[in-house]
Amino acid sequence: MKKPKSRKQVKFSKSIVFSLVFLVLGFILAYSYSLSQAQESSSNFTANSQFEQEEQFREELIEQKERNKTLREEILAKQEQLQDYESSFSDGEEIFGEIASEAEELRRYIGLMPVEGEGLRVVLEDGEYGSQTVNPNDYIVHESHVFQVIHEMYISGAEAVAVNGQRIHANSTIVCTGPVIEVDGVQYPAPFTIEAIGKPEVLIASMELSGGVLDQLVNDNIVVTMDEGLVIQMPALLSES
Amino acid sequence: MWLSILGLILGVSLGLLTDIRIPPEYANYLSIAVLAALDTLFGGIRAHLQQVYDDKVFVSGFFFNILLAAGLAFLGVHLGVDLYLAAIFAFGVRLFQNIAVIRRIILSKWTEKKGLRESV
Repeated sequence: MKKPKSRKQVKFSKSIVFSLVFLVLGFILAYSYSLSQAQESSSNFTANSQFEQEEQFREELIEQKERNKTLREEILAKQEQLQDYESSFSDGEEIFGEIASEAEELRRYIGLMPVEGEGLRVVLEDGEYGSQTVNPNDYIVHESHVFQVIHEMYISGAEAVAVNGQRIHANSTIVCTGPVIEVDGVQYPAPFTIEAIGKPEVLIASMELSGGVLDQLVNDNIVVTMDEGLVIQMPALLSES
Repeated sequence: MWLSILGLILGVSLGLLTDIRIPPEYANYLSIAVLAALDTLFGGIRAHLQQVYDDKVFVSGFFFNILLAAGLAFLGVHLGVDLYLAAIFAFGVRLFQNIAVIRRIILSKWTEKKGLRESV
């Protein structure tokens, strides 16, 4: 107070000191305030968060349960649907199987498939050349004989017939061309092997009817050999021999 | 004056912005330090009003009281004695006393002024 200059200096240093003091004071106040605030909020937070979490979990649980329920219902519905499908499939399969077997059967009948089964084999051979006979037509096998045998086979329930290994079908042609016969354009000499798949006993019985085919053939001096109970294999019609 | 207000603002903002978190058990020391600081501040104001104010006493008292209070509380925690209660008690009582003195002084000044004005 005595000197203006020194007084100014003193005032300046005083204000510096005061500012320092106030800085510390403000810092401490603010820091403790923020600390207590943080503590309070954290304690609040833990309590709240626990509660909220519980609530949240419960809601989630309920949601999941509901979802499970709907999913279960969906599963039941789907299973029912699946059962329907399966039953329809099995029905369809049965039908398909029937159709397929029928188709196969029909294919066998029309000769599109190779077949195998029990049957009868009839071999027609030219008769012995007798001196008392003049006309060779009397002892050679004609296509009519072959026809007779084939017709007899079909009549007595043969499922497939082949001549010398060639399948006979509905439009087959058998033509006599001199000493040989032509089956669907393929020439075969004697002896003629006629194979038929069917019930052998029925086939042979029908052949052996008195006054039947066998008697007629024998009458025409033809040597007939019959093998029954053989397993006969026939190629498909389409396979060219 | 302005410098001190600037310092206060700076200190408050610094305190609010600090991200350093001390463990909760040390928060007690801080609260005691706050109490000590407030006590010293009001003591200073009282001294100023009573015209016995001294810079050195104020500043040294300010820092020393803060440290003493915090140290006492620290010691108390470690000794198993609730010494911070003593600090709170002492500073609380002194705080109230100081504020009461300040109030009285201000009141008396005010009544004096009023009396002067009325007499004029």
